[in-house]
Amino acid sequence: MSSENIFMEQVLVNGLYLGMQYALIALGLTLIFALMNVLNFAHGQLYVVGGFITYIIYGKLGLPFFVAIVASGVTLGLVGAVIEKYLFRPVIRKSVREESTMLLAAAIAFFLDAVILLLFGEKQRGVPKILDGVMNLDFVVIMPYDRILIAALAGSSIVAFILFMQYSKPGRAMRALAQDRIAAQLMGVNVDRYSMIGFALGAMLAGVAGGLLVSIVGVNSGIGGPVSIKAFMMVMIGGAGVISGAIAGGFILGMLESIGLTVLVAYGDLTYLVIFVSLMIFLSIRPQGLMGKPWG
Amino acid sequence: MLLTSRFLAVVIFFISIFVLVPWLIEVSGRWDFYYTLTSVALLSIASAGVWLTFYIGRINIGQGAYALAGGYLSAVLVTQYEVSFWLTIPLAGLFCALLSVLIGLPILRLKGVYFAMITLVLTEVAKLTALALPITNGARGIVSIPLPGELSVFGMTIIPDFSTLENVKLAFYYLAVTLMVICFAGMYRLVNSRMGHLCRSLQQNEELASSIGVNITTLRITAYAISSFLGGVGGSIFVAISQSIYPTSFQVADSINFMLNVFVGGLGYVFGPMLGTVVIYFGWDLLFQTGKFQLLIYSSILILLMLTVPNGLLSLRLFKWNKEKK
Amino acid sequence: MSALLEVKNITKKFGGLTANKDISFTVQEKEILSVIGPNGAGKSTLFKMISSFLRTTSGEVLFKGERISNLAPHIVARKGVVRTFQETTIFKSMTVRENVVIAHHLRSKTNLFGFYVGSRRAHADEAEFRRSADEILGFLNLGEISGELASNLPQGHLRALGIAIGLATDPTILLLDEPFAGMNHDETMRTVELVSGVRDRGVTVLLVEHDMPAVMKISDRIVVLNFGEKIAEGTPQQIQQNEQVIEAYLGSEDDSIGL
Repeated sequence: MSSENIFMEQVLVNGLYLGMQYALIALGLTLIFALMNVLNFAHGQLYVVGGFITYIIYGKLGLPFFVAIVASGVTLGLVGAVIEKYLFRPVIRKSVREESTMLLAAAIAFFLDAVILLLFGEKQRGVPKILDGVMNLDFVVIMPYDRILIAALAGSSIVAFILFMQYSKPGRAMRALAQDRIAAQLMGVNVDRYSMIGFALGAMLAGVAGGLLVSIVGVNSGIGGPVSIKAFMMVMIGGAGVISGAIAGGFILGMLESIGLTVLVAYGDLTYLVIFVSLMIFLSIRPQGLMGKPWG
Repeated sequence: MLLTSRFLAVVIFFISIFVLVPWLIEVSGRWDFYYTLTSVALLSIASAGVWLTFYIGRINIGQGAYALAGGYLSAVLVTQYEVSFWLTIPLAGLFCALLSVLIGLPILRLKGVYFAMITLVLTEVAKLTALALPITNGARGIVSIPLPGELSVFGMTIIPDFSTLENVKLAFYYLAVTLMVICFAGMYRLVNSRMGHLCRSLQQNEELASSIGVNITTLRITAYAISSFLGGVGGSIFVAISQSIYPTSFQVADSINFMLNVFVGGLGYVFGPMLGTVVIYFGWDLLFQTGKFQLLIYSSILILLMLTVPNGLLSLRLFKWNKEKK
Repeated sequence: MSALLEVKNITKKFGGLTANKDISFTVQEKEILSVIGPNGAGKSTLFKMISSFLRTTSGEVLFKGERISNLAPHIVARKGVVRTFQETTIFKSMTVRENVVIAHHLRSKTNLFGFYVGSRRAHADEAEFRRSADEILGFLNLGEISGELASNLPQGHLRALGIAIGLATDPTILLLDEPFAGMNHDETMRTVELVSGVRDRGVTVLLVEHDMPAVMKISDRIVVLNFGEKIAEGTPQQIQQNEQVIEAYLGSEDDSIGL
């Protein structure tokens, strides 16, 4: 999109659209962090895997888009559960320091990167458009229909997630676990089971986000890392371990990106530099992010 | 008696790296090993910096940013301002130290994963800055960096111009290894000096350290500045060897590797980073023969390593004699 | 004797909860002053504000006429106001001796660089620290176990070590946080002597405590808190006869107040 005739409203709408996707990614990361105090370095890679699954099912096999998304979600959920149970759980039990789990997460990220690279190569992949046509409000706001659909799907996923966490039994168990591990155990919450469910859920969200976005921007094997980093930034802005923080962080980053890319388009990558410097200044005033608990 | 055996070990070590290794390489003709060992030496310097950050209780996954910054400073000074390479080494270090003070002031308050997250982002941002700034030449990087020139003091040549040397690889090897020895000797001394004691007190109980008058903020920033100094030095020399630098020369993966080196070697031991770098680097290098499976096997081994020895190699029984170096 | 420490109208609120309300008193040089009160009276909070580990909501603390409240804790320690900790806080993986030696940090005349290069003054400092540490350990009867790892010590010795660490800083006033907590009669009496000995060394003592017999025995003066406010101040005899104090203690779930 050229920067010539961009209206404030367009920037806002773009920001909202991006924010919706980002919030979905941030939610998964923050859930895992809240439950296990683990920084899931591999979150971006999980996103990429989700994208590739949708690419295969919708793009290659021609099945309906919705089926592809569900497949992405379910597969990643399973992957997440396996990762938690067989990799994270034993390491958390045995290790003395936090760094071990971090390195494990990094190793898993490398591993997934390697697998993705081997299976799919380096090429950028895309899928056919799921909806044609563009919504055009007097040329003030221009938004393709497929983006609107994706944003709506992302939004409903977020709402479903919040409702699940708020009202369902597993949701409440996980919230108790996130708040106070020991108290939750005393109340009979099965820590192992819900850590696994939580990780699976977090991975599922990443997978769904990847699947949704592959229809808009495509996917390639190299974007795992940068996506993880963006997710970290969102979580830092909004505050780690808090659902509202993840959503806030996601939307803020989305908005900042939209504004930055429009305003600073002449300077390209300067956007993220500006965001980072502002983030550092922000964190020096408020280290726990907008809504976070004071670090641990 | 302990002193003698330690002394002997040090002497053997020196002879090995300064005499034995070059001789072995010359005899076997495996000159590529020079590059390998030089890389190991430089990476271990940067890793030592990360180790020091651990010593003040922070998880540093941002050393790649300082290696990049130091590298670029050296490259720019040498190519655009015709500064002698030898001068750029300490300058790169100082530049990074100053930078780290600015960055450290807001972020050193954060702990655990929060600090780690921010340092990770720092690495990424360093790359973006290198891409964006005109002086760093964007994605094209800085290339055709000349070999280190002569180092002469009062007309006496201490180090000859590298381009006049027959065996440049050997020269770089000696440079890297000498700096590595100086770095680790300095670290060893630091850890056993008052500053080391204070850092340990900081690690163990921040409030108590405060109550005996330790200025926690200053101590942390000082340690972080030294860490980043080492990162900058490592980066600047790397640039001289590869004679080029790109925004992708040091990335997030490198930052993670530095941390990995430290961790594998063992966080409680000064020489841990050296051991860890050797293990990781040679491990990765050996796997090169597996072609496209390199990353897969490497990461699988890492995962296995984490599952079996989550607290580092030097924590194993084999290395118990090393404990007094803590 | 002049007022060494002045607590002036200290108030602390945590959100809607008022932990300390408008508390004022002074501590004279070389005296032992105890702050007592039932559980939840706000003693710890007050203590933390005096040593500047907690910010005040309003009011100030003056030391030798200079404000020390809300300064960085290490600066307050440097000025000579040093606290010990309620939980047995020590440097766990150092030996007893190392714990005390390192606490001499404030006394060093050389800076860190001097210590790094091993200048002559640094060596002199280190030697002096070791000598002083041994002396303090002897005073507290910890001499025999000076080589033990601090984490291995039983509780009584840990308390003593905490005091040793405090003394190592060469304080003008030492703030003791519940030094008698959890002790039986013999241990309490020994600690009473110890604290007395600390004062004899010229260190003013301000302590926060629960254990009434010990407090009555050792204090020159006592300040009583209840529900965050000061309700009485005076000598032990005065306090024992103070109706409000009796009321406060009878009204709460505390054990005998040793009258």
